[in-house]
Amino acid sequence: MSDTFTLADAALKVIQDRRSIREFSDEPVSEHDLDMIMEAARQAPSGENAQPWRFIIVKDEAMRKQMGAIAGGGSGRRFTAEFVTKKMQERFANLQDEAKRQAAFQKLTSGQVSAFMADAPVNIVVCGKKDVWDMPYDTSAAIENILLMVTALGLGACWVIAPCIDIRDEERIKDLLGIPEGYKAVSILSVGHPTRPHRPRPRLAINELVFTEKWGDPYYKEQS
Amino acid sequence: MNKKTIPLEYANNLIYELEKSFWDERGKGARFRVTTVGYKYFQEKCLSAIQSPDLDHILQTIGSILESEGIVGKVSYSQEDRLFRVRIEGCLHRPVEDEMIARGIEPFTCVPANLMVLAIEEKLDRPVELAEVKVEDGACQILLVVFEHRPTLG
Repeated sequence: MSDTFTLADAALKVIQDRRSIREFSDEPVSEHDLDMIMEAARQAPSGENAQPWRFIIVKDEAMRKQMGAIAGGGSGRRFTAEFVTKKMQERFANLQDEAKRQAAFQKLTSGQVSAFMADAPVNIVVCGKKDVWDMPYDTSAAIENILLMVTALGLGACWVIAPCIDIRDEERIKDLLGIPEGYKAVSILSVGHPTRPHRPRPRLAINELVFTEKWGDPYYKEQS
Repeated sequence: MNKKTIPLEYANNLIYELEKSFWDERGKGARFRVTTVGYKYFQEKCLSAIQSPDLDHILQTIGSILESEGIVGKVSYSQEDRLFRVRIEGCLHRPVEDEMIARGIEPFTCVPANLMVLAIEEKLDRPVELAEVKVEDGACQILLVVFEHRPTLG
C-alpha cells in the first residue's frame, strides 16, 4: 500500500481503521498522545458553540477498578435481563456456532464486556453541561473526535456507555468522581495500546442506509 | 400535604405522554433513565415500614403499602432462583401501559416495580434489574432479576 494519502483518503482510512478495543498492553499512553487526543476533543463542533464538554482523565488504578465494577455491574444487569427474557437468544439467532454463542452470552451477562475498563491505562470520562440545548450531540461529536485521533495515533479505545446509561450507575460514577449536579456523566472512553489487531465489524450495505429525497427509495441502486 | 386530588385520567395521560416523550428521545434506552421514578414516595411511605432485611418481608411490605394506598388492587409474586415474577392486578396506572401497547411500544417502566427495586437495593445492597413489564391475563406481569451481590474488582 502506498504511504502517501490525500487528506480525504487519510481521513477515511482513520475512520475505517477505528475499532472498539477492550484489551490493552501495560504500555502507558504518552502525555504527547493525550495532548493530541484532548485537542481533538476540544475542536469538536457544538450547538451555539456551547462547548458543553468537560473531561476527567483517570489513570489511578483504584479509581479505574471502581469504575470498572460499576460499568461491569450495569452491563451484567442489563444483559442478564436480556438473557432471561430470551431476547438475547433472539438477537444471536443467526450465530450458528453454539460455543461462540455461549461465549458471547457469558461475556455479556458477566459484565466483562464493560468491566475491562478497569485494566485500561487511561479512562477519559466525558461530562456534559446540562444547561445547553444540544449536549448529547455535542459530547458525541467530541467523543468521535477522540476515537479518531486515538486511531490516528496507533492507539486503541472503546466508547463505554455502560457506567452512565442507567441513572443509578451514573449517580455512582458522579459520586465517585465528584461531578457536579449541573453536569451529566455521558460516557467513558478507555484508551491504551492494543494487544493485537482487530478485524472490522460488519457494516450494513450503503444502499440500505441512504435514501433519495424521501424515506425508502435507495439513493444507491447497487449494493456495495 | 396538600390533599387536593386530580382526576386519574388526567394524571395517567400526563404519565403516558412523559413516557412516550422519553421513548421518542431515547428509544430502548429510555427504560434505564426512569429506574428511580418513585424514589420520593419510597422514601416517604415505604422505607420506614420495612423492618427487616428479608427479601420476602421487603416485597410483602411494598405490596401491602401499594394495596392499602389504593394504588394497586393486589400484588403477588413467585421466585425461581434469582428471578422474581410479580403479578400486579388492578393498578391505577394500567391505562398508561395499555396506551403504550396500543402504540406498539413495549412497556418499559413500572412504579410499583421500581419501589421494590429501590427497597431491595436500599435494604440489602443487592443489584436488581427490571427485566420485563408485560400485560397478560388482565394483570401486569413484572420480571425482576435479583443479583446476589454488587460486583467489585481488585
